[in-house]
Order: sequence, then C-alpha cells, then structure tokens
Amino acid sequence: MIILYNILTATVISGLLALILVIAEYLFANYGDCKISVNNKKELVVKGGGNLLNALAENKIFIPSACGGRGSCGFCKVRVLAGGGPVLPTEKPYLSAKEISDNVRLSCQVKIRQDLQINIPEELFNIKKFKARVKEIIDYTYDVKGVTFELIEPNIVEFKAGQYMQLESPKYEKSKQSVSRAYSISSIPDMKNAVQLIIRRVPDGICTTWVHDYMKVGDIVNLTGPFGDFFIRDTDADIIFVAGGSGKAPIKSMVEFAEKYENPRKMTYFFGARTLKDLYLTEDFREHEKKMKDFTYVPVLSAPDPDDQWEGKTGYIPPYFAEYIREPKNTEAYLCGSPGMISAVEKELVKLGVPKDKVYYDSFG
Amino acid sequence: MKLSPEEKSIMDKMQAGILSTDGFLGNDQRHLHEIIEEDAEKLLHFNYSLEQIAERMRYFTEMSREAYDLPVVIEGKYAVQQDIWRGRVICPYNHKGSYVKADIRLKNLENQIEVRWTPLNIHFIEVHGFFEGIGSKYRLNPETLIKAIF
Repeated sequence: MIILYNILTATVISGLLALILVIAEYLFANYGDCKISVNNKKELVVKGGGNLLNALAENKIFIPSACGGRGSCGFCKVRVLAGGGPVLPTEKPYLSAKEISDNVRLSCQVKIRQDLQINIPEELFNIKKFKARVKEIIDYTYDVKGVTFELIEPNIVEFKAGQYMQLESPKYEKSKQSVSRAYSISSIPDMKNAVQLIIRRVPDGICTTWVHDYMKVGDIVNLTGPFGDFFIRDTDADIIFVAGGSGKAPIKSMVEFAEKYENPRKMTYFFGARTLKDLYLTEDFREHEKKMKDFTYVPVLSAPDPDDQWEGKTGYIPPYFAEYIREPKNTEAYLCGSPGMISAVEKELVKLGVPKDKVYYDSFG
Repeated sequence: MKLSPEEKSIMDKMQAGILSTDGFLGNDQRHLHEIIEEDAEKLLHFNYSLEQIAERMRYFTEMSREAYDLPVVIEGKYAVQQDIWRGRVICPYNHKGSYVKADIRLKNLENQIEVRWTPLNIHFIEVHGFFEGIGSKYRLNPETLIKAIF
C-alpha cells in the first residue's frame, strides 16, 4: 500500500513538474530570431520556438508529411547537421540506426532554439503548396473517382508525367484532424492550371472517405507537390506499362503526354483488374491506340464474372509479356501498383531479359 | 480502471477519426486491458499462441501477395484475396515502422467461415494480443479466426 502511494505521489509530482516546464517555456522562453542554413546555399531567418517543419513551410520549403506534423507518419525527414539538439524519444521509432548516425531527424519534432544547419534533397525546392478549387468529380468505377482541381494560388504547376501530389483533407464528420495523402497525377503536365488525381476508396481511409462521400465541386482544398521520381526516361527503348487499380493514374498522364508529343516509341500498356466493373477509361485508351500507331492497350481480368461475358485476356498479366516484347534488352518497364504485383512482374520481366535497372516503379506499399 | 498517460494516449489514437475513420475500438466501452484479457481467456480454450495465429495470418497474406494479389486457393482449402492501396498506417502503440494499407479476406472452404484482416491486425495480435474492440470493422473474434485459419 505504501509503495503504491509512493508511486502515485511520484507520478503526480513528475506530471506537475512537466506541466510547469511546458507553461514556463510557453510564457518565458524567448529564442529570438534563429537562422536556418539550407544546403549551405539558402539562409532563412525564423522566429525561434516553433518546429522545423512549419518554419520551412512558412518559407515555402515543403517537406513531405502525411500527418501534418504530429509525429505519427515519419515522412518529414531531413538531415540536421547542427543545432537540432538530441534525437527525441518521439522520433526514434521512425529512424534507423544509420539514419540517426547520419543526423536524420523528423523535422516536425525538431524545435528551433538556436541557429540550424540542415540538408534536404534539391528537388524539394520545387515543391509548392497550392490552394485549389474542385472543378470536376468523375465516377470512374464504384470505388474510383477522378477529381480535377483548378489551381488558384499559385495558379500554375510544373510537373513530370508520373509524379504525385499530396491532398489535404480537412477535419470533417469522420475525422478529428486534417491529414495529407499522396495521389498520382493523372492529367497531362501541359494543362498547368489544373491537375487531375485518380483516387480509389480505401476502407476506413480518412482522406479517401472525405473525397468519395463529402467532397463537392467548388470546395477549396490544399495540395502540395509535385513529388516523386517515377517518370519516363528520355531514351528510345520500347516501353511496357503495367498497372492495376488507381495505379492507372500516372500511366494515363504518361500516355497522354506521349500522344500529344507524338512519341514514336513502341508502348504496350497492361492494365490488371479483377472484374469488368473494375475496368475504367477503356474507351479513352482505345482512342489512344487509334492515334498512336505503336501504342497497344491490353486490359487483363483476373476473375471476370460469368455475367461480364468478357472475351479479352484473363488471369495473370506476365504470361502475355512474351507476345508483346520484341527486344527485351531494349525495353523499359514502368509499373504502378501493389508491392506483390510489382515484384511478380519485375521477376517475370527480368526472366525474359529486360534489364533489372530498366524496371521503374511506383509501389503502393 | 484508471488509465496511465501512455494508455490514454494509445486509446486516444484508437478512437474513430484519428488513424482511420472507424478506429479500432468499435463501440466497445471496456478498458483496453479488459478487451485484451478477455480475448486472452478465450484463447486458453484453444491450443494456439498469439505468435502462431499471427504467423498463420502472415503466411496467408504473403502467399496471396506472391500470387500477384489475385484470388488464390491455398492448401486446397483456403480461398484468399487481397486488396492493397497506396499508403501505410502506423500502430497506435507508437511502434517503429508502419503497415501496408491492405485488406485480406479468407474463406475456409471446408467450414465456410470467412474472416478479414489488415497487416496491422497481424501486428496487433502478435505484439499486443489485441483483436480490436467489439463492433470495430476489423474486429477478429479469436475463436472464429482460429476456426477459419487452422
């Protein structure tokens, strides 16, 4: 009984002390202006006391983050070379031993108390936060929507076909907090003042439930991007595209871009779906076939319903590769979908002779 | 039963609208300990440990993934299909790592019992003995689960 009393007393006292420290820091700590040196080429002056992720965002440097800085996604990693203080217990679950030794930190957990020196990937300088208006919502299937966002501020985006954006969902009936989720851009880069994202409903998903059940044309939203290195390499090799579900988005952008610029490369696009009701944009891709003489669209159903009366290809996609690949060593593959699909397809392509380093992918996992 | 600050933080993250729209507790009003302990008691009637259950779920998940995520019959007895979405979800217990957003459905073709889980459920069971609260979308009744997968 006495031991329990002592434990309770100690817990209460330590809790009170922690609370006093938080209040004292809030009321009295004044870190003044602090400098953040970014990649040794840009210097920001920010008010001390806030976190690094927000300070960078206020200076239009957007570090990918899916949880909005709550320390729960582990995405907002940057290298803090000086001034970051010790790694916090809240960061450790998301950092490997190597990352810790390389001074990688979660920027949302790094409090700015003094001057900082940080390193970030160069491409992050191109990322912007956009205010946008929902312009059009198309039901592609029972669980896939295409949503077009008209950009308001800034009103122009530069991206490569295949890259993705992060869409921020607001607090709403089914979510107590705003979250950001990544979706591939399905529109052509030339559109510039708008982007279309293809969004498949995730059971229990906070952002996709909002998109599917609550979002309306005219809503104002926030997007951040573009992100990612999944884009067509500038060579003359033949191309194999393989995608399933919402993995169609980046391939749609790539194919439309190729058509617009009359890309002469031989391209074959395998799209995997379970049943006929999971197929979408088929007519659009048939149109691309008419316009590009070396483009072929091959939908494959893995488990068609008898009612589908499907007469196209069925089962696994890989057995059909040999029919379409004319010169494996001069073929590049672009894959988008689940990790299982990607590893199975990559294995088969390599077996056929496609160089492993020519297999590019955007994995969902 | 009073919650420690850590338990409160965990249970807060398990609520609807934090890590997922429906959360992990359903309409279960019990303390997290009670949910876990009552399921542990149910498990005593069977000869399977949490690790064995998790291992079996992981086996079906990986077999289905190796089958290109297509519907597949495993060991001639278990029909499994898996859907995967972009993104990952973290554990409300704040463990290192994150889990693929996937939905695995298994039907035991002999007794017709069907169960459904996510990769996070495997972690919940293996590490925390947590089968989710009653009423939760991915709640797994231990008895039903064992009858389905063994």
